Amino acid sequence: MMAVRSTFGRTGNHPDILAGLVFIVVGALGLWAGRDLRVGAAAMMGPGYLPLIISSLIVFIGLIVTIMGLVRDNERLDVIRLRPLLIILVAVAGFAYAAESLGFILAAIWLIGVGSMADRETRLREVAASIVVLTTFGILVFIVGLGVQMKLGPF
Amino acid sequence: MEFLDSLILGFSTAATPTNLLFCLMGALLGTLIGVLPGIGPTATLAILLPITFFLPPLAALIMLAGIFYGAQYGGSTTAILVNLPGEASSVVTAIDGYQMAKQGRAGAALAVAALGSFFAGTVSTLGLAIAGPALATLALSFGPAEYFSLTIFGLLCATVLASGSVIKAIAMICIGLLLGMVGTDVNSGSERLTFGATELFDGVEFVVIAVGLFGIAEIIVNLETPELRGLIAAKISRLWPTRDDFRRAWPAVLRGTGLGTFLGILPGGGATLSAFSAYTLEKKVSRDPRRFGKGAIEGVAGPEAANNAGAQSSFIPLLTLGIPSNAVMAMLLGAMTIHGITPGPAVIQNQPELFWGLVASMWIGNAMLLVINLPLIGLWVRLLTVPYRLLYPAILLFCCVGVYSVSNRAFDVALAVGFGFLGYLFRKAKCEPGPLLLGFVLGPLLETNLRRALLISQGDPSVFIQRPISLALLVAALGLLVLMVVPAVRKTREEAFVDEES
Repeated sequence: MMAVRSTFGRTGNHPDILAGLVFIVVGALGLWAGRDLRVGAAAMMGPGYLPLIISSLIVFIGLIVTIMGLVRDNERLDVIRLRPLLIILVAVAGFAYAAESLGFILAAIWLIGVGSMADRETRLREVAASIVVLTTFGILVFIVGLGVQMKLGPF
Repeated sequence: MEFLDSLILGFSTAATPTNLLFCLMGALLGTLIGVLPGIGPTATLAILLPITFFLPPLAALIMLAGIFYGAQYGGSTTAILVNLPGEASSVVTAIDGYQMAKQGRAGAALAVAALGSFFAGTVSTLGLAIAGPALATLALSFGPAEYFSLTIFGLLCATVLASGSVIKAIAMICIGLLLGMVGTDVNSGSERLTFGATELFDGVEFVVIAVGLFGIAEIIVNLETPELRGLIAAKISRLWPTRDDFRRAWPAVLRGTGLGTFLGILPGGGATLSAFSAYTLEKKVSRDPRRFGKGAIEGVAGPEAANNAGAQSSFIPLLTLGIPSNAVMAMLLGAMTIHGITPGPAVIQNQPELFWGLVASMWIGNAMLLVINLPLIGLWVRLLTVPYRLLYPAILLFCCVGVYSVSNRAFDVALAVGFGFLGYLFRKAKCEPGPLLLGFVLGPLLETNLRRALLISQGDPSVFIQRPISLALLVAALGLLVLMVVPAVRKTREEAFVDEES
């Protein structure tokens, strides 16, 4: 089983702690990205005025949520399964990479072929059928019908 | 007679063959995704948003709106027949609806749900037609200070009325606001928060965030949990309700319609809240509350009328004030922006055919749904047997091609992977992604008006409390926050949403 259970600590509300940490990271990222922007004053706001306020607010809320999460009743994270998470993200990332260099057909085959592996019950015959049907559908509807600007093959 | 003229204009615009076709497509698609568990209206709108770029603006809006209210009909079908609510808004319908189905009264439950929904849809569409122009006229007199306060009120209201932790929702709104600031600053021309990526100079694309957070993240979460498959309780024999059913159902439909129309207007309200409140109300006014949970027809009629009324009337703040009240409305705002329409009070004046056409199409769509749902019920039920493993590759393809097609570049698809992962983390952290989307679409409006208001007042923040409308809105927003601290209110709110998690 590719299942990971949260093992840290017996107390604390784990979803809240995770939320708090994500908020702190995002807020800190905002503060860092906006560090060179002119802040200005309320009457003449510079481009960095609101990003500074909002990012600080996110970090602040992140701290509160984390601290509250640490003292609140125990609640574990839902089971995290790495298989669907990684496979779906890799499938879409591969599509992004292939779309511009290899063309729609190969990108779609990759996306559907790899993406189908995310479900354990998937059968090979079904995947093959999905690839053929969906790729053909995509070519006809998206590329020919709607005129999406993507080349079909690598050449 | 102006009202009548407007309605005639609306119906003549909505009844063109193209618009009728897209209305039908929206209603069909909506019913389809309503029936299928695991894919909701928010995700569907996110995925189809880029495709509407190729349609005329009105046809695009008509179809997207149809998907939204169509899903309310479809969701109730599965709730009643197989005890699997297709949408969050039909969770309460399943309680009594499924019991009715088990007793062999599935037909009556389905008919009451559909007729009640149609009635509620008609009333609240009329409400939209009446309240729309009046609210828009009021909003036209708003200055930057009023608009700023209105946006703050809308955003706060949306966090309080939606389920989940309020403080987390506020943080999510802030993240949305921050994302909305990425790109070139309109006032100074400098690049903000782009990390030096030239692709981000125009800002993050709405579709990228929507597809990442709602489309991709939802697929991953769905694949983590084993698929639920319900069993059809009984054959649907008699479709028409008995006289006794009608006698019990119609007052419930009336109450549900009123409640839903009212709650739908509030930011953060909409279909789900309306349905839950209607069920509670029906239980309270009933002479014999013990019947609920054992197949009481009021428990189907009230919530079903309310969720449809709420779905329709949640269009009011978007179309008249330009303030979306939930994630679905944020999607529609995104669709309007793609077509170069700025939603707000000016739309009714400058593009009356757009506003009235959409209003009329909602009524036509509701009538179509009645036909689609009642006689064709068997067909929709059979769709339930399609396994998710065959569906999600198709959804993935729509996501990827859709994101790519917005500006024809792979960068956006790669960015959507990042938002997909972020959306997954948010779901594990029990953070609703809806408020983030609201913050993102309202961010530019909020910033522009704040800057303008403070520029005029030379940096004096008292401008927001000197203007009466602005003051009233801020006091209301503050009042909401204070209410949330009161333990009794917080407890009621938690109880009201306790079933929604499932």
